[in-house]
Amino acid sequence: MMTGVLPLVGRRLVASVFILLIVSFLLFVVLHVLPVDPAAMSVPPNATLVEIEAKRVEMGLDKPLYVQYGIWLGQVVHADFGTSIHFRRGVLGLVLATLPATIELALLAMVIAAVLGLAGGLLMFHTRGTRTEKAIDFGSILLLSTPEFLWALFFILMFGVALPLLPFTGRLDPNMSLPAGTGFLLFDSLYAGRPDIFWSAVRHLIMPSLALGIAFSPTIMRVLRSSFLDVYQEDYIHLARLRGLSERRILLRHALKNAILPTLSLMGVQFGFLFGGTLLVEVIYSYPGLGNLMVDAVRNADLPIIQAVGLAYCVVVLMINTIVDSLYLVLNPKLRLR
Amino acid sequence: MHNILPPWLRSARVITGLAIIAIIVICAIFAPLLAPHDPNEQNLLTTFLPPVWVQGADPAYLLGTDSLGRDVLSRLIYGARVAMMVAVIASFGAMAIGAALAYLAGYFGGRVDSLIGRAVDVWMSFPPVIMSLILMVGLGVGLRNVILAIVIVDWTRFCRVLRSEVLVVASKDYIAAARLVGFSHWRIITREIIPASLPLLITLVSLEMGIAVIVEAVLSFVGMSVSSQTPAWGQMIADARQYIYDSPWNLLFPALTIFFAVFGFNMLGDGLRRSLDVRLTAVQRV
Repeated sequence: MMTGVLPLVGRRLVASVFILLIVSFLLFVVLHVLPVDPAAMSVPPNATLVEIEAKRVEMGLDKPLYVQYGIWLGQVVHADFGTSIHFRRGVLGLVLATLPATIELALLAMVIAAVLGLAGGLLMFHTRGTRTEKAIDFGSILLLSTPEFLWALFFILMFGVALPLLPFTGRLDPNMSLPAGTGFLLFDSLYAGRPDIFWSAVRHLIMPSLALGIAFSPTIMRVLRSSFLDVYQEDYIHLARLRGLSERRILLRHALKNAILPTLSLMGVQFGFLFGGTLLVEVIYSYPGLGNLMVDAVRNADLPIIQAVGLAYCVVVLMINTIVDSLYLVLNPKLRLR
Repeated sequence: MHNILPPWLRSARVITGLAIIAIIVICAIFAPLLAPHDPNEQNLLTTFLPPVWVQGADPAYLLGTDSLGRDVLSRLIYGARVAMMVAVIASFGAMAIGAALAYLAGYFGGRVDSLIGRAVDVWMSFPPVIMSLILMVGLGVGLRNVILAIVIVDWTRFCRVLRSEVLVVASKDYIAAARLVGFSHWRIITREIIPASLPLLITLVSLEMGIAVIVEAVLSFVGMSVSSQTPAWGQMIADARQYIYDSPWNLLFPALTIFFAVFGFNMLGDGLRRSLDVRLTAVQRV
């Protein structure tokens, strides 16, 4: 079964690398038409003009843009993303220190979105033609109109301020320290045998991941419902009915297999959006991930960080898309034959 | 009564959506007449007043005051200006670019199609929030650049959806007939294909307006939109977030306003989708 899939996955990977190159170039160009001078910012404030000029030559800023891009790309290939202008630390270290937190949040949110979306879609389809469906449909527009950062704010007002049930800043209670390890807190804390840290991390993740998950569930709901409607027009559903199978079995064993496919590819696209949505949620919950690093860097005009973080977001999105596409190939036998 | 209205208006959703948008647009246009106070007028003696229905409020400030004693209601009304300006101009801009490329890709196919398809792929690998933030860093803050950033980020929403629609339309017999008669490409696209895809286009624009409102709020929330002299909803949220325990109301009102505006555009979009019989599959959302 895998033999037919692997070349297609390989082709997809090559395409991803190609896209990444273009993305990195666009990123570089956008950030280098800036009105700020990175050279002047990376020398002490009392530096003379000559020193700034020397720094500019050292940083390659006197060369044409495509040459600068080549220099930068060469460094990136050797895992050198430069030094943060503001933190005066290696950018790669900063990104790698914050990336696991963001991935943890995004994955949990995606699980929540998928569960809510699939359950809602099944419910909407199951109640089709009734008043309940209309109510759920209207509810899904309400959900669609509430972006993740509004959910994040509403949750803070509800469960942080009005009913102080959950913490809403950071990843851990202030008296706890991060256990060493992968940076994935839920995993590290269990590995280190610290259920207290695990529990604190879970409590800190509930509101941010719910805010993101709920915001991204209605699209999944609606697409699943409409692909069910399509699938139920097919002959094999009628045939299954004629064979006397129960409606429940037809829905879950026959229709779901095909209806899930468009939903799956939508979820791949959604994950890209959701991964970007973590930025706002992180800012609102002061969650120490890529998003906060990015917003701080934007405020400080810290170009090396902006560049690396922008790239990090794209790498994750492309990876997810490749995985989802591969999964799609594995699940959809029609695409394997070619 | 029912039959006087054009078919696309005979939907409760369309009417609700239009009514909400009309209220906001009126607020935006007549802000100086409607707002009870100057939105930037500070009164440091009356900060954090609650809305009138809460104990200790001042009836002169219907929705209370913020951390600098500015009138929340007036700031919300003036904030509608930035929101509506961005919503209208940015969505039509994104539509113009996205639709033009979609017509080219769907109609001509081949190289043009795959080139545009690659561009969409590159765009899709960028989370929209991240891309608009990076663009704002590159372009610099200001209303014009917010609009430009949204256009640059969101044209793909139109292009992706519309392209597949154009592919379907372009394969219809009457298009082949038009070619046989010898119509020019320009004429076929403008006279035959655009009218056929107009319902989809209208639906997408109204959904995009909701998205543009959100993006503007997001950008002004992180301080990358208009200057602090111009009231904007996202900015009000960012201000209020620092004083969440002093006055949760200050956070609640702009958040609800943003929801209300986006809800209006989504209701309109959803109603139009139904009454114009448009099929939307994998689209939408920020």
